[in-house]
Amino acid sequence: MTADRPTTERKSPARTVPLLPKMPRIGVKAPFRTLGPGSVSSLLKIALDVAYVLLMIITAVLLLLLLTSVFIPIANLNITVSNDEGGRQQPLTRPLLLFGVGALTAYFGGFLMILRNLRLIFRTLTIGDPFQPGNVRRLRQVGLILAVVTGGVWVAQGVVAARLAPGVMEPQGFGELLTPIFSVLVVFVLAEVFREGARLRRESELTI
Amino acid sequence: MAIKVQLDRLLVERRMSLTELADRVGVTVANLSILKTGKARAVRFTTLYALCRELDCQPGDLLSYEPGPPEPDLDDEEA
Repeated sequence: MTADRPTTERKSPARTVPLLPKMPRIGVKAPFRTLGPGSVSSLLKIALDVAYVLLMIITAVLLLLLLTSVFIPIANLNITVSNDEGGRQQPLTRPLLLFGVGALTAYFGGFLMILRNLRLIFRTLTIGDPFQPGNVRRLRQVGLILAVVTGGVWVAQGVVAARLAPGVMEPQGFGELLTPIFSVLVVFVLAEVFREGARLRRESELTI
Repeated sequence: MAIKVQLDRLLVERRMSLTELADRVGVTVANLSILKTGKARAVRFTTLYALCRELDCQPGDLLSYEPGPPEPDLDDEEA
């Protein structure tokens, strides 16, 4: 009994002592910073910017090539196309050239549009507000463009193989479509996640 | 909106301005305006407690239910 009393007396004043301010947490840190100089996001931003500029140059060059290919006297040049194994050869006609350059321009233009959207999404991330309806729209556009571009490549190769240059190019099988379909699905799922994130953000804004 | 916030009436009865109430409750005037105009989606218990404390009322005095069409979904506002 007597031994217990001092213990309780010692405990009771401790309850009145105000809590100490929280000490900074010392623990295992993530290997990379997410934002700021030298972070993963800054590296991603550089990669996006470089790829965007490169794609702009490539698309511009292809557009110029597309315009000039309208006026090139192809019949005089006598150019032939063949497949990689050097099998059947076919003269390069104007429709074939226009189709090829046009398809390439559309391909790179599509990826340019995807990168433009990604850069805009990234801009919202750097200002700390990525969950907004605009990003949902951008991600859906990315998914749509990705589907059109990859589907377009598949169809274009089929058209070239069947009509424009039979024997020169082999049509792609359905197996080639699996990876693009998977990528498009991933992007659309991400868009839905962002839509829910934007809804939650709006709801938390309107919670008083 | 089916839930009305009777802040206007209570402020008139208490002869208190929105700015004064915002100061006392510790909420910005902008947020209190959102609550007053019925645009708020939710009210925290801590805010409700502070409002009742400063206006000397019960939660039932602040909130009332009125039958009406359901409020639009946040998704519809985005679209």
